[in-house]
Amino acid sequence: MRKMGLLPIALAAALVMAGCSDSNATDPKTAGKDDKVVVGFSVYDMQYEFFQKMEAGTRAAATAKGWEFKLHDEKSDENEMVTGAQALIDQGVDVLIISPFKPSALGPIIAKAKAKGVPVIVDDIGGGGAPYDAIVISDNAGGGKLAADYMVKQIAANNKTSKNVASITCEPSAVYAARRNAGFKEAIEKAGFKVVAELSGNSKAEEGYKVMKDILAKNPDVAGVFSCNDPMGVAAANAIKDAGKNPVTDIVSVGFNADPEAITAIKAGGLAATVAQDPKAMGELTVKLAEQAIKKQAITFSNPAEREVFNPVALITKENADTVK
Amino acid sequence: MSTDTQTPKPARSAPASRADRAGRPTLGKLWDTWGITAILALLLAATPLVAPDFLEFSNLQSVLRESAYLGIVAAGMTFAIASGAFDLSVGGQLALVSVVTLIGYSAGGTALAVAAAVATGLACGLVNAGLITGLRVPPFVATLGTLFVFRGVAYILTQDGPKTLPYDQIGSPFVKIGGLNVAGIPLPFVIMLVVYGAAWLLLRRTATGRRILSYGSSPAAARFCGISETRIRIFVFALVGVSVGIAALTYITRVWTADGSAQDGFELKVIAAVVLGGTSLKGGKGTLIGTFSAVLLVSVLNDMLVSQGVPSAYQRIVLGCVLIVALTIDGLRTRFAAPGSFRRALSVLVQRPSPVDGA
Repeated sequence: MRKMGLLPIALAAALVMAGCSDSNATDPKTAGKDDKVVVGFSVYDMQYEFFQKMEAGTRAAATAKGWEFKLHDEKSDENEMVTGAQALIDQGVDVLIISPFKPSALGPIIAKAKAKGVPVIVDDIGGGGAPYDAIVISDNAGGGKLAADYMVKQIAANNKTSKNVASITCEPSAVYAARRNAGFKEAIEKAGFKVVAELSGNSKAEEGYKVMKDILAKNPDVAGVFSCNDPMGVAAANAIKDAGKNPVTDIVSVGFNADPEAITAIKAGGLAATVAQDPKAMGELTVKLAEQAIKKQAITFSNPAEREVFNPVALITKENADTVK
Repeated sequence: MSTDTQTPKPARSAPASRADRAGRPTLGKLWDTWGITAILALLLAATPLVAPDFLEFSNLQSVLRESAYLGIVAAGMTFAIASGAFDLSVGGQLALVSVVTLIGYSAGGTALAVAAAVATGLACGLVNAGLITGLRVPPFVATLGTLFVFRGVAYILTQDGPKTLPYDQIGSPFVKIGGLNVAGIPLPFVIMLVVYGAAWLLLRRTATGRRILSYGSSPAAARFCGISETRIRIFVFALVGVSVGIAALTYITRVWTADGSAQDGFELKVIAAVVLGGTSLKGGKGTLIGTFSAVLLVSVLNDMLVSQGVPSAYQRIVLGCVLIVALTIDGLRTRFAAPGSFRRALSVLVQRPSPVDGA
């Protein structure tokens, strides 16, 4: 028993004397064991439908290219994210695709990838200021513009003369989501409208409801409202209904994300429209970028400053709501 | 005890004296200390068949590096559980210590970061100890409360403070703690080995260790023997706090980021590892060797499941089943705790009277 206790100390002392090495500075492994490309995909959490679709798109595109596909599930845990993604790099993947649970934990992963010469493509969520090769995100500003264009048409169809609209934002720290409201504002102002109220509902349904009540009290003549996500969009539409107005024909309510609750509401006339992201296409796009990165081809960025590549989004109204699964 | 307890007498001289029984290893006692280690050895022996990639050097390094933060806190928690108490706040402590460490690093570099980690851990432990001894709140309730408080404070601190280690600091000695290897062995694991060595000495070779165990086995009897409940509580919870402080150093330098939500559910992982290792939830019995092996068992199993592409839902089920099976074996073990009981059980199985105790 006594030996067991002292052994670790003796071992540790011996090791300290034996000298140090840095795991981040190991020699770059020659890419791949054979000529087959191996792609590692570390996914945010396979519990969520969004990421299941993203995984399906990534896997299909990689398999179509004849690549070997290795999946790692971060399980919404930053520790699992770092450990598992680094393990993929250790297993000798040629390129790493990652949808990070915590973008701020990308640092140690990308440090290791750089040491081994493995390119990193980030899929959605955020880049955390780390030197990734490219990041794929939905065209949030474009989605805001789609919402604005639809709203202009629908307001005209409703025979409303008011040029006032409202915009409900997500929490200020959600930088990508803020682009939705910015894109909406730019497009709708170009069409001659005025955003009379721009308030944050912190992404939450209950706050979205309250914000919409306040807007209705102060600006009862608004002809449309755009919300940064669907929980707030549906809640705002409910506030409009509770005020005795119609969220399609009186105040055009548009959300963002195509959540199931929004699709249900659109079919029932409880919401005018939403904007759908396409995680499957995002996954396919990351594989295309991964191939370019491996071949050291130049990637065409939508926003070169942050190495962002935008994936198109689609407007969902009552006409095409059935096409959304 | 007299010296003749040290010399094992032949088992034939039945009925054995009490002292004799204490000195003889039984299957139950061996299981207490080495059971989970044996299972770990079996699992490792099976790896070439089920997960050949596991034995690659870089993967072994990764498993050891990742085990450290859980293992170090589990060492502290072994003392708490052996003393008959839980610390449910370790997840909150880890989040808070990590966040304070980030602030310390951005303000004063490596030295301040290390000092901030250990000091914050100790402070958290003393807050728990103060609530338990000063306000007479049961440990379970007190630490459940501070779990939320610590996480809340961590959230407040990250609102304006740093949330991550900056990428350009990759060469600093502090950031290297998590990634450095000492003669091929990850530094976090080396730290864990040192912690376990010190903890083993403390539990098995000092009067304090004996007092903790006797208090855990019977608080009333310990009080009659002049053991101060207050001092035991303060010591144990401060120890858990310091272990979290050390663990956070190996955590934050590997993951680089923390906020109030960091490692949600950590406390249950730690308690599961300690219990899996063979430390009794009833107190009075603690095994650091068991805890150490249980932490490695969980890490190895997790790594194998992940690398074999097992879906995460099934990973959770497997880990839960391992815990249940281990505790079931632990329950069976108590039947074989007395000397000769295993042979008696065997003799019943083969339908003939036992040649030894023959009762």
